[in-house]
Amino acid sequence: MSDTAYRRMQDLPSTHLLGTGTSTCAGCGGLHAFRELYDVLGDKTVVVNAAGCMTLLATYPFTPFRGSWLYTSMASAPAGAQGVRDALDLLIEKGRLPREEDLRVVVLTGDGAAYGMGLAATSAAIDRGLDFLYLCYDNEGYGNTGQQSSAATPHAARTATNGGPRGYPGYKKDLFAIWAAHRPSYVATVIAAEPVDLARKVEQAARLTGPRLLLALAPCPPGWGFDPQDAVEIGRLAVKSGVWPLKEWRDGRVVHTKTPRPRAPVEEYLRRQQRFAHLFEPARDEATLAEIQRRVDAYWEEVEA
Amino acid sequence: MYRIRFHGRGGHGIKTGARILGSAFFAEGFEVQDAPRYGAERRGAPLDASVRASRGPIRERGALRAPDLVVVADETLIPVRSAGVAAGLAAHTWFLIRSAAPAAVWRERMARPERVLALAAAADERAELPFLGSIAAAAAARLVGAISWPALEGALAREVAGFGAGAQAESRARARAAWDALAPHAGAVGEGPELLTAGGDPGWIDLPLDLAERAAPDVRVPLTSLEVKTGLWRTQRPVIEPDRCHGCAWICSSLCPDGAIAIAGGRPVIDYDHCKGCGVCVAVCPHHAIHVEREELARAGAQP
Amino acid sequence: MTRVLLTGNAAAAWGARLAGVDYVPAFPITPQTEILETLGAWIEGGELRARMVMLESEHSMVTAAGAAAATGVRVFTATSSQGLLYALEMLYTVAGWRAPFVLVNVSRGLAAPITLGSDHGDVLAARDCGFLQLHAASAQEVLDFVLLGARLGEDARVRLPVLVNLDGFTLSFTREPVALPEAVEAARFVGPFDPGTVRFRASRPISQAVAVLGGSPYSYFRYEMQRAAEAALLAWPEVAGAFANAFGRRYEAVATHRCEDAEVVLCLLGALATQAEGVVDQLRAEGRRVGLVRPRLLRPFPAEALRAALAGKRAVAVLDQDLSLGLGGVLHGELAAALYGAAGAPPVLASFVGGLGGRDVAGTELAAMLEAAARAADAGVPPAPRLLYTETELRELRKLQAIALGERHELARGERSELARGEGA
Repeated sequence: MSDTAYRRMQDLPSTHLLGTGTSTCAGCGGLHAFRELYDVLGDKTVVVNAAGCMTLLATYPFTPFRGSWLYTSMASAPAGAQGVRDALDLLIEKGRLPREEDLRVVVLTGDGAAYGMGLAATSAAIDRGLDFLYLCYDNEGYGNTGQQSSAATPHAARTATNGGPRGYPGYKKDLFAIWAAHRPSYVATVIAAEPVDLARKVEQAARLTGPRLLLALAPCPPGWGFDPQDAVEIGRLAVKSGVWPLKEWRDGRVVHTKTPRPRAPVEEYLRRQQRFAHLFEPARDEATLAEIQRRVDAYWEEVEA
Repeated sequence: MYRIRFHGRGGHGIKTGARILGSAFFAEGFEVQDAPRYGAERRGAPLDASVRASRGPIRERGALRAPDLVVVADETLIPVRSAGVAAGLAAHTWFLIRSAAPAAVWRERMARPERVLALAAAADERAELPFLGSIAAAAAARLVGAISWPALEGALAREVAGFGAGAQAESRARARAAWDALAPHAGAVGEGPELLTAGGDPGWIDLPLDLAERAAPDVRVPLTSLEVKTGLWRTQRPVIEPDRCHGCAWICSSLCPDGAIAIAGGRPVIDYDHCKGCGVCVAVCPHHAIHVEREELARAGAQP
Repeated sequence: MTRVLLTGNAAAAWGARLAGVDYVPAFPITPQTEILETLGAWIEGGELRARMVMLESEHSMVTAAGAAAATGVRVFTATSSQGLLYALEMLYTVAGWRAPFVLVNVSRGLAAPITLGSDHGDVLAARDCGFLQLHAASAQEVLDFVLLGARLGEDARVRLPVLVNLDGFTLSFTREPVALPEAVEAARFVGPFDPGTVRFRASRPISQAVAVLGGSPYSYFRYEMQRAAEAALLAWPEVAGAFANAFGRRYEAVATHRCEDAEVVLCLLGALATQAEGVVDQLRAEGRRVGLVRPRLLRPFPAEALRAALAGKRAVAVLDQDLSLGLGGVLHGELAAALYGAAGAPPVLASFVGGLGGRDVAGTELAAMLEAAARAADAGVPPAPRLLYTETELRELRKLQAIALGERHELARGERSELARGEGA
């Protein structure tokens, strides 16, 4: 990574720009990531939102934003971003808006929109080379409606629609790879529990133009089943166990910004969450635990090859 | 008709409590309507649930008016306006508040000379929180008098079945304790009068045209969310011990999900108006300089 | 027959289960999600032999529903509001495939502004798409209408999908006593799913839903759907009669309460009707000759039944929990069309719009509507339409507005801090 203002935690912004008083759950990993991003990116932004947990951030007459916000619909936030970006460009081009009134366009959605319903609009926005930054807070399910399985749900996790003994039968979609296949400007995974890594990536993304994704794993106390105070610890375990690789894609190259060595066993991460409790009680599901570990190992073996 | 409302926070089992009471009434041959009312639907956020019970068909819809009994399972909700503890209050409404303070204190605080009761919280208060709904249901059933213990017990077993054997036993034990504690007032709460739904001027106006600049659903002022005191969700608060704090500040401040820890003069300052009490700062401080205090004690201590 | 406490959502799920549903394409949205979760849990637990599939959007969900029905299975799905509208293109489309299924809509106000509370704007937006439309006023009706809908939609004379509406929150999350039909009886009433000739199988190739060019042929197909909907209206007494024989509950296409000798009548859709009945009884006890008319069936539109119920009345107060922007209440307009020129049509048809986004409609307001309609009849002056809103509500709104627009001087300091201190949710 090139020169950065963020080397250590003490370099992080000491002023928090996003207002408190929002109705997200205590310990929300999604809000945490967004707040950290907002601190770095600043308030000369317009955040375009799709339906999800963050939609209620701005509920009349209360808004936590110093900058701007537009709620669209679940499927069309990237299209909303297209309209805002094009209009700002037109206004500036035609001299109807001074350049200093320009805003950075940021799309904010959960995994429900990013991995599913919003994928068509996202893909097309990247096709058009839209200059926008997309922050996806990934709590691995449809969080706002009660944690039903989404395409982002990891294998074997229990959700409201997969409450049986095996949990979710599918496997987490690789949104990072899908974005990368579009050859955008920048793709990165982040997590609020690693704020310096996140700040650097926001800084890096902010220096670029074009379509850029920041994909944040968002530990979710009610959805994943843990006490809010463990939110950061669980985020750290996601990274330490290798379940959530911290990486960037640029110009066809993937760089890992953190390589956990040694990797903590995935069990350490899984056993802290009620959604995986069935893998440990009443008896250990060795087969599934081994499979999850194997997949994580295989990923890192390839990385290190 | 009995009209009963429970108040608590997300995570207290209030919705289940209303269902327990509703099921118990139903088992005793009443017609029943029970429903939760969601606010922000977040853990810690205020919510209430209601039960209507009548020997005849129930035709009322919507929010309860003139409840016969209001059970406040979490006394910290009383000053929270949006919790609506006093909504639809009538002269005949009974209040039951779960609180260490005795009923006499609450009668004075609420300026209600009668029909106020207090139910003491258990010694293991935090462990009791998920069962407040069961406690409220048992208390209400005893106060109403028209529900037998077997009916309540059966309703409890049915409604809590999905939570596992441990939770069932726990619920039953705590419900029984509340049932017994309210024996002196058994049957005190009677059925409310038929509500007059007709007559009176509804106070209709002709809504004037407001120009779109005012009438679009927009907020033109930044940071109005600061007016929402999410600190009222807390049941416990983090407290920084200045002697143990190394003044690194950026750790707790950066890792607070809500950004409720500011840095002033190199020292962290918690914004108690907005801190939701998640406890992340307590968990991440490398010097263990932040500990947890029960919110009502902390608030009491903070008063001059 | 067991009587149990069920939420409207649970009743909808029971309706699907008792109808022997095969396939449930799903997508979560508040306040409907519980329906699909309940079905999902039954399927996972082996209590219901069906398949549930989570689609990625409601547009896809309705496409999958229609396609599965067109392949030959009994399908059930559910949605609300934004989801229903996202699927709107496909609602029109699948209706034209003539493959029946039941869709439950849990009504919720439409964006913008985005909200969660109930009104009928969403379901009424779908009134033209070709789905039959039933409006439930209780959890019992929700369950029963799913069974009725399956049977009616699958009738050879009809073959159209059916939308059953229930009010969000008022019904969806509220438990009420519901008589659960015996599974055997329900299965007998609904019968096995007969796909007729609309299905896919190797031995009988079929090109379904092909393009049709030319106004005349296109019109033929659309007009036939209209004929089918009319046939559904004719078939209703028969189907409702069979239901009454099996389960003891008789559902007229239009429900009436104390209408026979009423002078002034309330007309509305959905769950508020039970409260309206209470108001009517209250006023009757005071000697007022009032009544209530509630269409259960909205599509096909039961014009004759409504004309019969309203003939000779002095006035009708119509409450629309919906708003056709630029016009007014939808039900009011549809009623006016049915009554125009009809013998004995009430001279006064007063329009009231209220209950949007879950706004409570107080009994006092229902009574005041009847009063206003009566006075208009006395004066012989057609009443102006009214959007229900009170002085108190506007005052409260102005406080919020002052915050949103930064007009701080408009709020007394005391008022402001009181508002803020309380807003913890």
